[in-house]
Amino acid sequence: MTNQPDRSALRNLQDKTAIVGVGTTEFGSIYRDLDPERSAYELGLIAFREALKDAGLRRTDVDGVIVSRLPHYGRMCEMIGLRHPRFVNVLPGEGRQSGIALQYAALAVANGMADVVACIYGNNGRSAGARYGGENRGISTQAMFEAPYGMTSPGAVTSMMFRRHQYRYGTTTEPLGHLAISNRANAALNPNAVMQRPITMDDYHGARYIAEPLCLFDYCLINDGGVCFIVTSAERARDLKHTPVLIHATSQASDITPVYVADDFWHEPMSQIADDLFTHSDVQRDDLAFAQLYDNFTPTMLFTLEGMGFCEPGEGGDWITPERIGLRGELPLNTGGGHTSESYMQGWALHVEAVRQLRQKCGDRQVDDAQYGLYACAAPLATGHILKRDNS
Amino acid sequence: MTTESQSAELSYEKPLPPVLELTKPFWDGCREGILQIQFCNICDQPWFPPAEACPRCLQDDWEWRPISGHGTVWSWIRMWQKYFPGWEPDEYPYTVALIKLEEGPYMYSTLVAIEDKDVSCDLNVEVDFRKVNDEITLPVFRPSR
Repeated sequence: MTNQPDRSALRNLQDKTAIVGVGTTEFGSIYRDLDPERSAYELGLIAFREALKDAGLRRTDVDGVIVSRLPHYGRMCEMIGLRHPRFVNVLPGEGRQSGIALQYAALAVANGMADVVACIYGNNGRSAGARYGGENRGISTQAMFEAPYGMTSPGAVTSMMFRRHQYRYGTTTEPLGHLAISNRANAALNPNAVMQRPITMDDYHGARYIAEPLCLFDYCLINDGGVCFIVTSAERARDLKHTPVLIHATSQASDITPVYVADDFWHEPMSQIADDLFTHSDVQRDDLAFAQLYDNFTPTMLFTLEGMGFCEPGEGGDWITPERIGLRGELPLNTGGGHTSESYMQGWALHVEAVRQLRQKCGDRQVDDAQYGLYACAAPLATGHILKRDNS
Repeated sequence: MTTESQSAELSYEKPLPPVLELTKPFWDGCREGILQIQFCNICDQPWFPPAEACPRCLQDDWEWRPISGHGTVWSWIRMWQKYFPGWEPDEYPYTVALIKLEEGPYMYSTLVAIEDKDVSCDLNVEVDFRKVNDEITLPVFRPSR
């Protein structure tokens, strides 16, 4: 990189804002109860209600709303009786947007455009029959130049990248198995997780392929649910119910190509994010009590670990061991079970899990000494945050 | 009564690409056995998929130019999941490859004249063509001769 701009102004946002309320719908029970009438807005509403209660805030305290995967902010605001919000935004229903929702909320609050921002997500994909592949829409690049070959689905492009990683570095599917097994072991300690039955390496290797080399257990679930988190100033947060979870550092980077994949497995954007997070903050990698890594598919976690410098490029396969990534390990990953076992809430539930861990209220799956935690999402549009337990 | 080519068309159930004014020259070329992509007449930048202007200099002075048809397999997968109609049960798993063209751009396609066990990333490939109907001929790739 040439002409790297000075990023030190990122510190202006450090510890200025906090997540003060989190809420989700039930995940497991509604997975087993398909309802074609279940709307994403209803799921968002339930999550919002839970998050308000969690924060100890009133509905009328909220003056900002960011929605994602919900088609229109208007319907959501109407349903939660919010007639005069001062800050509103709509983000597409892509997982990479969950971290961006938090960034916008923090920016709005830190700069005085809103006092309390609710970020609301609703996903009725399972009931609505979403398959995340096989769409053949209109005149998109996908319809014109991919579908004729049967190319479709986010899992297939991730599988393309993983195959390339295998070729380049000799990576096996074993580390992906460790990630899937670890996610499931964590989910077994999470009463709200959809999939709680532990799996073994034999189960992993015996699972059917979807887009080979990736198999069923490399894939996120498809389930319904809603998630909400509420952001306000650190100052106001200290008067509320829970120990505030501060947004200590946050960053965005990207590699936007016509074919989704990146030749460096997103090393460039993820290393830029790592530079931002670890240079312009008070935190180093060793200070992290856990990492919630976006796991639409297990290789995404491997790419994130390499890109963010937890290990060298190509070494992720050796770095990922059950001892290291488990709840008592050096860097516990996806402590609530992640997208492959807890719930496919496109990063939103990973944020909630990070907050609960930093509140130190996670019961059997609580990691030790949770002071700082990482959220990161590797994708063409990538994000990362360091969240911090407020001890002041 | 249907002609032979009409009935062949009727039996083809895999997704067909919509053809736009912008992309018609691409498909016209394929029908003639020529793979072509857009090049900027000002800065010589090639690009694919088609777009209305050069992504480098943003000018709309461009033309379709035949390319070498050579490239390498950046990566490939075997698709087991049944997402689309048109693939017969015995066609699963089918192969999808991401080709890195010699000229730079990437193109999703499939591989012919090779067994899966012989496919590898960075394999040298060259374009071939498979006629689907009177309008569409799909570019596919085979090991370089």
